[in-house]
Amino acid sequence: MTEPDYTQSAEDHQCLLVVVKPLGSISKSNFSCVFNKISSVEQATLQDSHRATWIRYKQYYPPENNDWGDFQAHRRVVGLIAVAEARGTQELALIFESFDGLRGEYGTCLYNWRMFVFGLTGEVVEQNRTDVDFVGDYERLDGLTRTVEEFTSSLFIVLESKRLDRASEKAGDKMPLLCVPFEKKDFVGLDTDSRNYRKRCQGRMRKHVGDLNLQAGLLHEALVNYHIAVETLRSINDFLWLAAALEGLCVASVVSHYGTTCMTTKARHQGASTQAEREQRSRTGTQEVLIDPGSLTTNGIGGDPSLEIGRAKNCLSPDDIVEKYREAISFYAKYRQAAVIELEACIKAVRVLALQKKRSEAADFLQNAIYIHVDVTEDERIQRYSVLSELYERIGFRRKAAFFKRISAMQCVRAALPEPGWKACYELLLDTLQGYNISLDNPQSSTESHHGWPAVQLRILHELVYSAQRMGNPALSVHHLTFLLHSMLDFLSEQEKKEVSQTLERYAASCRGHSTTLEIRESLKVQPIALSKLPIVRSMKLINLPPNLRPVKLKSGDGLSTPISSSSPFIYSPIVVQQRREQRANQIDFQWVQGDVCEVQLMVYNPMPFELRVENMGLLTSGVEFESLPAALSLPAESGLYPVTLVGVPKIPGPITIAGYHTEVFGIPSRCMLQNLPHCKVMCSTVEVVPALPLTQLTTSLPRCSGLIAPSTLGDVCCNAVVRLFNGETQEVSVQLENIGKQPVESVELEVTYNHQQGDSGTCGMTWDTQELQKLIPMQPGSLVDLTLSIHANFDFSNTDGSLADTQDEMSTAPGTPFSSPARRVTRPHKEYHTPGGTPPEQNGRLGPSPLKIQEAVLLVHYTGGPGATAGYSRRLSLSILIEVEPSVVFTNLTAVPATSSQRCHLVIDVQNQMEHEVQLQSIHNDDLLLRPHENKRMAAQLHRLNGSTDGTGSPRGLQRAEAEAVCRQLGLRWLILSNGRKGEASVARVVSPAVLEQLRLAPLQWDVEVGGLTCIGEELVSTGVGKPLAVTIRLTNGTAVPAGPFCLELRPFLDFHNGLQDCALKSVAVFLGSNSSHLPQIQPAGVATFHCSCLFLFPGDFLLDIQFQDGTGQFPASWLCLPTVHVHVSEQPA
Amino acid sequence: MFNVATGGRRRRAFCTMAVCVAVITKENYPLYISNVPAANELKFHYTVHTSLDVVEEKLSAVGKTTSDLRELYLGLLYPTEDYKVYGYVANTKVKFVIVIDSSNTSFRDNEIRSMFRKLHTAYTDVMCNPFYTPGDPIQSKTFDDVISSMMQVC
Repeated sequence: MTEPDYTQSAEDHQCLLVVVKPLGSISKSNFSCVFNKISSVEQATLQDSHRATWIRYKQYYPPENNDWGDFQAHRRVVGLIAVAEARGTQELALIFESFDGLRGEYGTCLYNWRMFVFGLTGEVVEQNRTDVDFVGDYERLDGLTRTVEEFTSSLFIVLESKRLDRASEKAGDKMPLLCVPFEKKDFVGLDTDSRNYRKRCQGRMRKHVGDLNLQAGLLHEALVNYHIAVETLRSINDFLWLAAALEGLCVASVVSHYGTTCMTTKARHQGASTQAEREQRSRTGTQEVLIDPGSLTTNGIGGDPSLEIGRAKNCLSPDDIVEKYREAISFYAKYRQAAVIELEACIKAVRVLALQKKRSEAADFLQNAIYIHVDVTEDERIQRYSVLSELYERIGFRRKAAFFKRISAMQCVRAALPEPGWKACYELLLDTLQGYNISLDNPQSSTESHHGWPAVQLRILHELVYSAQRMGNPALSVHHLTFLLHSMLDFLSEQEKKEVSQTLERYAASCRGHSTTLEIRESLKVQPIALSKLPIVRSMKLINLPPNLRPVKLKSGDGLSTPISSSSPFIYSPIVVQQRREQRANQIDFQWVQGDVCEVQLMVYNPMPFELRVENMGLLTSGVEFESLPAALSLPAESGLYPVTLVGVPKIPGPITIAGYHTEVFGIPSRCMLQNLPHCKVMCSTVEVVPALPLTQLTTSLPRCSGLIAPSTLGDVCCNAVVRLFNGETQEVSVQLENIGKQPVESVELEVTYNHQQGDSGTCGMTWDTQELQKLIPMQPGSLVDLTLSIHANFDFSNTDGSLADTQDEMSTAPGTPFSSPARRVTRPHKEYHTPGGTPPEQNGRLGPSPLKIQEAVLLVHYTGGPGATAGYSRRLSLSILIEVEPSVVFTNLTAVPATSSQRCHLVIDVQNQMEHEVQLQSIHNDDLLLRPHENKRMAAQLHRLNGSTDGTGSPRGLQRAEAEAVCRQLGLRWLILSNGRKGEASVARVVSPAVLEQLRLAPLQWDVEVGGLTCIGEELVSTGVGKPLAVTIRLTNGTAVPAGPFCLELRPFLDFHNGLQDCALKSVAVFLGSNSSHLPQIQPAGVATFHCSCLFLFPGDFLLDIQFQDGTGQFPASWLCLPTVHVHVSEQPA
Repeated sequence: MFNVATGGRRRRAFCTMAVCVAVITKENYPLYISNVPAANELKFHYTVHTSLDVVEEKLSAVGKTTSDLRELYLGLLYPTEDYKVYGYVANTKVKFVIVIDSSNTSFRDNEIRSMFRKLHTAYTDVMCNPFYTPGDPIQSKTFDDVISSMMQVC
């Protein structure tokens, strides 16, 4: 007994063993077809009996096992069926011969035999042998079944007769000693008359009768016999047979409890598909037993109630079955030669325990089975481990099952084997995966939160890869290796990472990674693995187009600002706000343009300890058509986050969703979908693509700006330039607009914005000809358009750095006029270099570089055309121009000096040339003034006074501005650089202080002085004669809004000697008729006060008549109260 | 079970030696595994891994019958030719497995229990560390010390 039958179960004890053998030249498929047909006859019954016996068919059975038939009756071959195919009589004779040989092989114990011969027809069939059936066709096997049924019935009859023979033997009769093969020599020469020997014979015979009863379906008798045998054998310590009797007892009880062998046998032939069904059946069986052990008699084992009761008494309880099995096995273990029996008993016990759901006990039995040493061949060893694995699986120990499955796989490819069975090894390894918690077709499940035992998983995957490779299926090995790398990345050491990826690269070079579903075997298909961890993508962001390509919605229609959900009854709720915020975060507020290259930025991370080359990395999209432009990149080892930009071109307008990306790493193409990447942060992946828009380029004649300017103040700037002007200069700039896109430009609009950092000190203006622009459109693709911009610098011409402020202190000749700000006067130290009209000292002009004034302006070009225009989008091009303004001339001081006429006024202007060039200053009424570099000069201009009171409607500031402009216009100052001809304006508008303006205005208090009928303004000469009274009338009109006065007025004649001396003591020279002084009462607004008197000069000469005026209130500036001095010439002769 | 241990029952006083100690999470993946002959690590991985079957079986058996407090110590999980595997399951379903050399027959059940208690305490200390993320492999020097003290003669 060398070869254990691992497929045995307890129920097999009640079966009759029939060997089915092929003979002659029958093909394998035909034979298996016939075998299936034969084995469908599972049960044999007698016509007049309720009982039935079970048949077990085997194709191969070692004849030496037959010798154990006495020990356990089910091990004996009782029937032989040969299936043969013969083509002629000659062959038939040979077949007969071998059939007879076969019969001899299985010995005398055969109850019956039969042969089916196919392929022969006609008279040859007329043979005289009764044990041979000729079957004409493989298609017509119904007759065969009937024959087999007859055959099995005959087996049952023989069995029955044998049983009756044995049963009729009386205890007193001389019984033969049944023994197992290895015992035979032990009993040689033993005293056959001893009581012990007799008991041994009896016990063993009882046991054998029990076996026969069991086979014959007499469960009750079997149980009784077994019980007697156990008692008998126990008393004489015949352990081997005691164990067999105990096992028989167990088997009979098992059959009694779970007697649904029909199903189990069938299922064994049909494979695993009905396993669930069988289990279910077994379970219901168990329940039935629990309810009523006696009622489970479906197999015609007898309906006699008394029998049932007896059986129930003798039958072992489920717990006892385990105990008895345990005992039996421990007895078996005493005999080394019975190792196979022990092993089989263990396995049978495990199957029973699995049925009983006693898993830990079953595990104990299995553990024991592992220890039983049996000499086996390689094939059997594989089978042994497979069966162990299967049994472990049945009791739910899937890890153990996987462990043994793996061992059996390893056995398949042992180095000792001449032909390693890599295919079998691979298949077995595949079966282990479930036990190790690996699911090949779904790698994601193992990445999210790793389940399972990394060390053993790694090992099994490595073995799987290797066996697939050796099996000659590189596609599978590439897949498994990819799986390994992907799911076990966190558990690989650096060295392993390197090795695995190198291996993968090598394998992939010979077999490209598959991109479709791979079928490993039936019912196991695997999806291609996406290597989403090589590299790891941490975040994905859609990038807006660069500012010059961005589409701008023309009309601000229903925009993005109205997603206030009305579903909530609350005006404000933090939840709603939060939702809205999330909503907004998930919205993309920009668009892509059809036909333009669009970008997506990924932050990737290389987890490998070496440089990772990623090839063919591109975007996967859904929605409208999108042409992805793949990129190749190389990530340094352990790179940290690394930005990668993937690009593509949308081909059709509409919504587009970035669904993922594809890569090729180590030659393995993978498609990674964002939804499968839990570690990847994606704000929003859907963007709208707007129809195609034209694209233009802007170039200027100006040099590009090299320095940095802050573009943030005026938005996105795509192009910048710098221009340098002198203050007051106007420069023409040529701007070229070129259509470099594929769509015509149908409309262009220009717009300028300035930054108002230096709003007070003036601005630069940019102007262009709109009509000329409209003439140039539409622009066809490739065409070029010239625009002319004129840039005018108009900054403050005042001396902002104050370097010359101190020179004016002395020049303030106007009486009591504060025209320079007090602050300036205080902070500047007094310097003495008063050289009016001359060149200032050298160091004055070199007081540091003149500061550049900087103005930033942005020219926005809105243009649109093509399909995008109809969709309401435009593009914007912005040109940032940095205007640097150099100071040209500076007005350091402005002083108003009253002219002789009260209608007029002199403006004294101190001007400084701050340029390095010689400059000519032109004005309307005056001569040109030539200024050398950094020269100060003073010029004077006569102006008409401003009648500012006439339009007092505007704000005082606006009024001042208007007045200043008027002054500028009167002056009409222009500068011209003689060397290069550059010219510009010079405006004093920002230089004139309110005080100066005040002086330039006509005074609101209007004085009219009439002397001798002549209205005196200033320089008039009044002639009169000696002794002739000269009438003087002074009229004062109050033009202000408030009451003026009261004033004191006094007329005082004096002599001017023109040498600085004046003689005021002229009491004897001039006589006043009337009072020479007067007190003017308060004058209401628009009121008039008049003063009359006459003056009589007693001597001839030139006299001056001074009108002195005293303001009692001090409410008006002195300049308003300034009255002309009248020059009177007195002649000798009376007029 | 059936193969009665045949080694002589020499009793060395308090000399229990573990050859392998493992901490396994609720989800049945290892948090910590350490073995004394460091060479054959994979073997112990397999030993401990397969022992989980028995642990699960024992746990499910307990769950069915009683609802009251089960004992944390599971006892001998299974013997192999060379080793005996013992199990202990905390109430959080964290499993502790200790493998002991079969030739070392001198230990008593109580010693194993005390070893498990010690192991449990050490594990609790690791969990109390605010810088430890549950589910990560245990990398604690203190824990290592406790384990190595178990591997040595105690």
